[in-house]
Amino acid sequence: MQHFVLEQALNFLIQNGDVNLEPLDQKIIRFSLKDLPLEVDFVCTNNRIFVVNDINNVSDVDIKLTANVFFALFKGEDLTDLLKQDKIIIHGDVKTAQLLVDMLQAVDIDVEETLSQYTGDIVAHEIGKITGEIKKITQESSNPLEALKDSVSNFLINPSVPKTYKNNKH
Amino acid sequence: MDNTTHFGFKDVATKDKQGMVRGVFDSVASKYDLMNDVLSFGAHRLWKRYTIASSNVKTGDKVLDIAGGTGDLAIEFRKKVGDSGQVVLSDINAAMLGEGRKNLTNKGIFGVDFVQLNAQYLPFEDNTFDCVSIAFGLRNVTDKDQALREMRRILKPGGCLLILEFSTTDSEFLKKFYDFYSFNIMPKLGEIIADDKDSYQYLAESIRKHPDQETLKDMVLEAGFGFCEYHNLSGGIVALHKGIKA
Repeated sequence: MQHFVLEQALNFLIQNGDVNLEPLDQKIIRFSLKDLPLEVDFVCTNNRIFVVNDINNVSDVDIKLTANVFFALFKGEDLTDLLKQDKIIIHGDVKTAQLLVDMLQAVDIDVEETLSQYTGDIVAHEIGKITGEIKKITQESSNPLEALKDSVSNFLINPSVPKTYKNNKH
Repeated sequence: MDNTTHFGFKDVATKDKQGMVRGVFDSVASKYDLMNDVLSFGAHRLWKRYTIASSNVKTGDKVLDIAGGTGDLAIEFRKKVGDSGQVVLSDINAAMLGEGRKNLTNKGIFGVDFVQLNAQYLPFEDNTFDCVSIAFGLRNVTDKDQALREMRRILKPGGCLLILEFSTTDSEFLKKFYDFYSFNIMPKLGEIIADDKDSYQYLAESIRKHPDQETLKDMVLEAGFGFCEYHNLSGGIVALHKGIKA
């Protein structure tokens, strides 16, 4: 199920994020997150990505990183800098890895516009506002996952009081 | 190829199987959707929805649905590919294809092509389709290896094959329940609802004769696909195999 969700998410980004996958055509990228039980192959073909998990595949490049570094790549952090800091380990064709990173960074989705097709404008706008908040929190922190966790904890301990309308007449 | 093959638990002459399978589907065509809903408690709709979602089909794609019968996959594929794409709904059985045509027309779905064909000899050029699907049809094909090679041939490089089919569950409890249900309840329901006990006895038997998950995966790879993975649904009672043409 994990593969299914990942594959759906990636292809959703490709289709809705105006991403050209042609430079990665026929490439197999083995991708693993060190802090999560995730090791998969991204098979890039026919302008879409299939997520498979077959150790017999020969990959063009192996990418090992942590979830935080993955978020950092999304935020636009330079691959070379991360490589120098040993935050990301790449075996194989570095050019392919760079193409994948470029693709992830090129994703540009208007969340509200995309969602509104399914939920209507009002729900999409509210979700868009929440997404914006999450994006702001993760971009301002060097550790996006921790920042997100802290924000959720703060909210649960001390939820913001909804605005009330005061009656000035009494 | 051997001169005999199986038809349910019976051994029959290879040349006869196609006609016998046709007989089964001629008999059940008009009640096919109703029986699917009753026998699977509606779960077949979820299995098919998962298949569509797994296809990664997008606007402009060309899709062939083999053994598509009453057209429930074709309808969803048609929505995904849009007007710029193409969906071909095919079946070896004219009665089933007729039901599919009627169903799509009733639902206001147009722009789907209908082709009566044998999965072992697909009448299409090489590298034509982005996706080929076959749902609950492969176990009725006489020469499955030949059919898989044909499906690979007509897929574009990077094209995706989806095989949704009954399979084998590992759970002992589920297996016992499923065996009892298949051989005792299913034929009875077939008799009551579709007035056809034998066809639903064949359904239960043909499921047991169908290759298990790993065997089918090997067959897909043997047919020349670059990758194949499967996902068990409902505890392995059904499995979705996904092959990618390298």
